[in-house]
Amino acid sequence: MTEARDICLRVENVGMRFGGLRALDDVSFEVERGTILGLIGPNGSGKTTMMNVVSGVYKPTSGRALFEGKRIADFPTHEVCHLGIARTFQVVKPFASLTVRENVAVGAMYGRFGAKRSGKDAFARTDELLESVGLARVAGRPASDLTIPDRKRLEVAKALALDPELLLLDEVMAGLNHTEVDEALHLLRAVNERGVTLIVVEHLMKAIMSISRRVVVLAEGKKIAEGLPLEVTSSPAVIEAYLGARFAKRQQQERERQT
Amino acid sequence: MQLFLQNLVNGILSGGILALVALGFSLVYGIMNIINLAHGAYIMLGAYLAWQLFTSFHVDPMLSVPLAFVVLFAFGYVVQRTVINRVVRAPVLATFLLTFALSLVFVTIALFIWTGDTRGVQTSYAGANFTLAGVTVPWAKLLTLVVALVITGLLYLWLHRSKTGRAIRATSMDVGAAQMVGVRVAHVYGITYGLGAGLAGAAGALLTLSYPLTPTMGDPFLIKGFVVCVLGGLGSVEGALVGGLVYGIISSFATQFDVTILGQHLSGTGLQDVVALIVLLLVLIVRPRGLVGRATA
Amino acid sequence: MTGKRWVFISTLAIMGLLLFVPSFHNDYINLTFRNILMYAAMSYGWNLIGGYTGYVSFGNVAFFGIGAYCSAVLSKTGVDNVFADVGLALVVCALFAIVVGLPILRLRGHYFGIATLGVALGLTDLANNLDFVGGSGGLNLKQADQAHFYLYYYAMWAVTLVCMLATFFIARSKLGYAFVAIRENEEAAQVLGISPTRYKVIAWALGGMMGGAAGAVFAPANGFVDPGTAFAVDNNVFPIAMAILGGMGTASGPFIGALLLSGVNEILQEKFLWLHSLFFGAIIVLIVVFLPRGLMYLVGLRGGVRRWLSDLRAFRV
Repeated sequence: MTEARDICLRVENVGMRFGGLRALDDVSFEVERGTILGLIGPNGSGKTTMMNVVSGVYKPTSGRALFEGKRIADFPTHEVCHLGIARTFQVVKPFASLTVRENVAVGAMYGRFGAKRSGKDAFARTDELLESVGLARVAGRPASDLTIPDRKRLEVAKALALDPELLLLDEVMAGLNHTEVDEALHLLRAVNERGVTLIVVEHLMKAIMSISRRVVVLAEGKKIAEGLPLEVTSSPAVIEAYLGARFAKRQQQERERQT
Repeated sequence: MQLFLQNLVNGILSGGILALVALGFSLVYGIMNIINLAHGAYIMLGAYLAWQLFTSFHVDPMLSVPLAFVVLFAFGYVVQRTVINRVVRAPVLATFLLTFALSLVFVTIALFIWTGDTRGVQTSYAGANFTLAGVTVPWAKLLTLVVALVITGLLYLWLHRSKTGRAIRATSMDVGAAQMVGVRVAHVYGITYGLGAGLAGAAGALLTLSYPLTPTMGDPFLIKGFVVCVLGGLGSVEGALVGGLVYGIISSFATQFDVTILGQHLSGTGLQDVVALIVLLLVLIVRPRGLVGRATA
Repeated sequence: MTGKRWVFISTLAIMGLLLFVPSFHNDYINLTFRNILMYAAMSYGWNLIGGYTGYVSFGNVAFFGIGAYCSAVLSKTGVDNVFADVGLALVVCALFAIVVGLPILRLRGHYFGIATLGVALGLTDLANNLDFVGGSGGLNLKQADQAHFYLYYYAMWAVTLVCMLATFFIARSKLGYAFVAIRENEEAAQVLGISPTRYKVIAWALGGMMGGAAGAVFAPANGFVDPGTAFAVDNNVFPIAMAILGGMGTASGPFIGALLLSGVNEILQEKFLWLHSLFFGAIIVLIVVFLPRGLMYLVGLRGGVRRWLSDLRAFRV
């Protein structure tokens, strides 16, 4: 039985070409409001390109991405956050000469609700956010001085300062150890509970499995699977994409032998 | 038609020297990524060197050209290794200001040695022209163009064929990688900057055939050199040549511009810098990498 | 209270002291300090676009020249009021910054610098050729009589104070953060909702108005304006060198730099006459090589001399 789903993001037949290279090929999926979508795939499958399309950094060469019914590509880069979309970057680039607090405050000043905020209000909101991501203790430090997990927290805080409805996280867990990953997952769940829709791009299977409601798998620019985490990870197409055709075939033979 | 041809030829002739001026400037920018505001001063120093040799020893300026090149090359190398090298990786402002200050120092020294009086070189062929198809061609300017082309060609070959030339190009692409394969970057930069200064000096020596000398003579060439570089494509040898010729032609035709608006008389000859500015802005807005330049990331 | 805050308060205190300069009834002293204030104002103007926003303009003298010519033209039409002069200069400079800024502020780094240099030179050319601003001969303004001589000192003082305070408050405001965000990482700033073009133009316009106001007061005080005076190369470079010496992107930097460099310039001019250009150039060389981040950078720098030296080493090859 299909119930009416509240879709906030619609990716429709999106293709992205760079000269001769087709980074994305006819990819379509939908994201339900308030859920967490995992986006996975081997290296070079087009995950970051997809993120760039959804966050308006790239305009798709074919197809379209709609957020709340509006075409994301129609908006200039600095207006995208006013739509309600925010993202973190794989390569973290904070404003080096500003403190952690100031870094986050910029987003609070110029993000979706920034125009209504005074400088003081923006800093107040910043302090709340720093508290919630666990950066309050380093608030006054220059942003260039942070540890890797703290830098990731800063990226998330900066994105949250934009008061997003949809938050895109691009490999936020890269470089974190087990404990740090658990903390990150905990944080992301908390953010989601407050009503923010998330799209999480990750290599870490454990992370994706544990927090995604649904998962989309890309390989060589095409969508090869979509569904619940368990469905997707046992799909032969996905196994083949990650581990190669021979491994997938061997797996299949194993399974047949056992039945 | 007559006028058109004359303007065209004038443009090409003046374009030659502009190309030579722009060449050194473009080289330094392309390889070291610094805007060398002292370039005009090096032109001036080359010119005065040629003048001094002519006045004291009756050496023809054309013969002074290679000498000016060598002297200014050495000078530039030293300047780079001692002063400029300290800020070569600093933000653009530091090198802007530094090279500007150096130019200030050089001009003042020139003022001291040769005073502010206008000087000139009078060679036997200075005013001689020949006429071809109704177009007057001054010998001096034609020689200048030929020398400029020859030097450009030689430089291009050297950069692409010689070992040092390749080291220079490698450094411009990736300093770290170049260092790792054993390129002594400070030395390479020294050579590059020396080349830039040497080329400017050579251009200065050539200029004495057709222009008067003052300590600040380099300034208008600096600006035009900028525009030519940007027009052709910063960092490109062929670009400097193409840009020089094109700009020479544009500038030449612009001198024909002569209108009176609202009782205000405006002429292309008087508004040289405005013309340069307009060309500059158009290029920067429409095609920032220039006519020949490669697009930078 | 941070070290930097103390320095700013000290500069305000010095400004307070400068109010007493006219009481010496000495024209030379008056002129010297009026020039210091003028350069400080111009430096503050440059500091907004060059220091805070990170867009190095090598043509901000254009605004000073425009301001000076505004006063000259007003004087020609019979208006010799300092308020009108400054008012007109503010409007014209702002408009100029917007009209010219929209296309050229889209250019990055070196290109922007070159373009602004071109603008300044183009304006000089234009001034030399336009008859209604006197062409290369320039324009004379109503010469100030004794009673008004000190008026221009106070006017310049007021302009500089406004520039100083405006910079201080802008730096702490939302606007200031937009400028700095653009300087630190223009792409990241965009992602955070800042329209770079809009804020770059605002920075250039505000800074331009500062330079324009300084020019507008200079012209009647000087009694004469011509393209060489209005668009002098010195007026282009000194404010930049002063901002660097004092510290770009700070509220005290331009004032400190102006005070020190003007002081040095005066001493040099007295001792060495025409050679002073040489020494001045040498000093700028020293500043750029040894103090590229300015004096304010040293205030509150953790790591002292060693840190300073290692920072310098990062700039060489």
